[in-house]
Amino acid sequence: MKKKFVAIMMAAATAGTLLAGCGSAPATDAAKADTAAETAATEAVAAATDAAEAVTEAAEGATEAPAADAGEVPGLVEGDYSTPQEVKVWVADNAVDFTNEQIAEFQKANPDLADWTFTVEPVGEGDAATNVITDVEAGADVYTFAQDQIARLVSAGALEEVAPDNVAWVKAANDEGSVGAATVGDTLYAYPVTSDNGYFMYYDKSVVTDPSDLDTIIKDCEAAGKNIYMEINSGWYNTAFFFATGCTLTYDTDDQGNFTAANVDYATDAGVAALKEMTKLANSSSFQNGSSAGNATNYAVIIDGTWDAESIKQVLGDNYACAKLPSFTTEDGQTYQMSGFGGFKLVGVKPQEDDAKLSVCDALAAYLTSGDVQLARYNAIGWGPSNTTAQASDEVKSDVALTALADQLQYTIPQGQYPSEYWDRAKALGDDIISKTITADASDEDLMAELQTFQDDCISYAQ
Amino acid sequence: MANSNTADTAVTKTNPVAAFFSALGSNFREIGTTFAKGDWRTKLSYLIMGFGPLLRGQIAKGLGYLIAEGMFLWYMIGFGAQYISKFSTLGTVETQKIHRKTVYGDNSFLILLFSILTIVIICALILLWRMNIRENFIEEKRLREGKPLETNRHFLTSFLDGNFDKTLLALPVLGIFMFTVLPIIFMICIAFTNYDKSHQSPTHLFTWVGLENFRNLFSFGSNGFASTFGTVLTWTLVWAFFATFTTYFLGMAVAMLINKKGIRFKKLWRTILVVTIAVPQFVSLLYVAKMFAGDGLVNGYLLKWGVISQPIPFWTNPTLSKIMIVLINIWIGIPYMMLIATGLLMNIPSDLYESARIDGASPWQMFWSITLPYMLFVTGPYLLTSFTGNLNNFNVIYLLTQGGPTSGRLTGNAGYTDLLVTWLYKMTVTATNYKMAAVIGIMVFLVTAVISLIVYNMLPSVKDEEGFQ
Repeated sequence: MKKKFVAIMMAAATAGTLLAGCGSAPATDAAKADTAAETAATEAVAAATDAAEAVTEAAEGATEAPAADAGEVPGLVEGDYSTPQEVKVWVADNAVDFTNEQIAEFQKANPDLADWTFTVEPVGEGDAATNVITDVEAGADVYTFAQDQIARLVSAGALEEVAPDNVAWVKAANDEGSVGAATVGDTLYAYPVTSDNGYFMYYDKSVVTDPSDLDTIIKDCEAAGKNIYMEINSGWYNTAFFFATGCTLTYDTDDQGNFTAANVDYATDAGVAALKEMTKLANSSSFQNGSSAGNATNYAVIIDGTWDAESIKQVLGDNYACAKLPSFTTEDGQTYQMSGFGGFKLVGVKPQEDDAKLSVCDALAAYLTSGDVQLARYNAIGWGPSNTTAQASDEVKSDVALTALADQLQYTIPQGQYPSEYWDRAKALGDDIISKTITADASDEDLMAELQTFQDDCISYAQ
Repeated sequence: MANSNTADTAVTKTNPVAAFFSALGSNFREIGTTFAKGDWRTKLSYLIMGFGPLLRGQIAKGLGYLIAEGMFLWYMIGFGAQYISKFSTLGTVETQKIHRKTVYGDNSFLILLFSILTIVIICALILLWRMNIRENFIEEKRLREGKPLETNRHFLTSFLDGNFDKTLLALPVLGIFMFTVLPIIFMICIAFTNYDKSHQSPTHLFTWVGLENFRNLFSFGSNGFASTFGTVLTWTLVWAFFATFTTYFLGMAVAMLINKKGIRFKKLWRTILVVTIAVPQFVSLLYVAKMFAGDGLVNGYLLKWGVISQPIPFWTNPTLSKIMIVLINIWIGIPYMMLIATGLLMNIPSDLYESARIDGASPWQMFWSITLPYMLFVTGPYLLTSFTGNLNNFNVIYLLTQGGPTSGRLTGNAGYTDLLVTWLYKMTVTATNYKMAAVIGIMVFLVTAVISLIVYNMLPSVKDEEGFQ
């Protein structure tokens, strides 16, 4: 016994010494930080006079700003950038090379930043939010993310507001939907970079006779033994049905990104009509749940976004066609045009502990989302721009998929902020339909009860 | 202390709690008497560790204690104290915005982590302090008896000789503490806080909430976890049972089949089965998951041949997906058991079978009375580990169904094929609900520990160690 005790003691003692050793590092770091803060303070005093000048300049700039709003990209605000720092940028894997080139241009345009280090790392828009939130301090300083993540990022304190000087420009240069998507409460939190995050219908011309009616499409596909792909167990795709019949589902957020209220009316006759249409589709022998063209087989119809355009074009060949989503007719003869979400990609800046670095991040984000760069990005990797000038260019207008999306976007609702629980709950609702837990021949009362629990759950997320 | 000591010694010695308190009591008594009877060197050692040994010429030991105490004070003042002082609240200073610049406040995450570390270090120092007193006690006793003290050289070389075990174990023990024990204590603590997506460090603070999360786990109602927890736990146990015993018996059956006299190409059959092991499990699982999907190969061909008119919902129907998971697990589990069983079956003394045959036993009787008891005896511990392994079999479930299909009837984003451990994963990674994940983690431990202990004590190889010798 005693020997064991001694052994543990020795281990503990060594552990103690080692850990004490570890403890010294933060202390010295703190000391460094202190001295850095001191130098910064003295610099700040020296810069105060400069700053005063800058303010007057800015004020002058502000008076003439509105005229040049949409056109001129806000550059780097004046300041002291002599201490080079490191700025980490996260973009999707296929955009890394493009972003590197653009950052080189950005540095060329801002000689002050010649010594700054910009590192671009591949992190997809879907993962960026999770990765930044998991470890805010190690996250990227500027990152592209899907706009449904914005509330989560704001409430986790991982997203800085857009610099006040840039707000007017961002709002004027980009389409309304994308600006709405970048806004939480009344505050603009991010720079829109694409508005191509919507879905529409790809179809096989030789199978589908009338792309405007869902029932005909189902019949055609069943007759041809081809699959219809739609991911109905997704909160993103299922709104195509619910918003079509006039249901609404939005959340109010405060400036901190907390959800304060849910505006939802799914538990209505309109909701039941939508749910019935979903079960009808799910009951078809042609129906497959999914939206990834790469994994889809033997399909004649797929509800998908522009990102899969190339692979679908290859599969369908000459029969390749795109259209807005079809409409469907309910038992009582009402016809509804399918709706859905319009979605956007945004560039965000992480909260910074240093003013100079924050200004650089803001300028970089503004540059990467400017009209010219968005158009260049469309040409390089095919991302549909949110910038109105870039949208009006000939290259963008001649794109079949983007045109179909533009048609569909008329019927959609710009996707606002939704709590992450909503997506999980919507998946559960879709799974219940697919697993026939909610059957196609269920009574209206049963369907209403399902929608009531769904609605109650949605409301409970906003508290 | 004296009171509790006498009271406890009255209890039978086998009671571990009583034994602990009696040891604690005698320790305190020794600390007291050593101080009362000790000389001034010993008395000062209570404050300055290693003082007594140093003055008595035990430089190595004395310096060791002194350095340990110095390091401890340095650690506490420079690092530990700032965290441990906030341990009760886990931080109170909110993150602020000064103009557009962010000034982070207290980081609850680091406070909790480093407080736990500091508490462990304090405990270590208390133990070291106790050793220092015992050292003084021993030295004084030896001097009183006129015996010489241990030389410094002898003490130091003992770490390569008599105390070599401590030298060897120091690094592994430290590693286990840093990478296993500390995170486990940390995770257990998380279960008693409100650490989730709206209390995320470093921007937001989280704090202690007592048993709130456990209450939530066992509460029924729209947002309570109780009914979902019940569903998931039941499936976890059902799955572990079937996954373990189907592969066990079928694996054994296949091995016996191949072992049977008169079966030709034994090596070929074995190789074919072992090929499933050669392909990485996650590749074969992902492939099979795709194969049985609504638009997968199986449904595709069945539809094409006109066997079915609607795709079979292999993964989207809750019951069917559970059956599929167990079946696919049999496919990937049999080869392992077959390999084990092949070796063991050859080891059963053939004279047992011969005498049984002479006595006129049927093949079934021979299996039931000879093969099975022997196999259970030898593979009992394997059965237990594979059962606990299956309770936490993340791979098979997650790669085949991701726990789905989910349902509005389950809370916390759970699906009908979720095990506790995959549910925990979803909570941590997608829902950022660390507090409930920690609670589920504790539950997983309880379930695994209780089942392991009960089954372990029932194993024939534990109850009757010499059964087959």
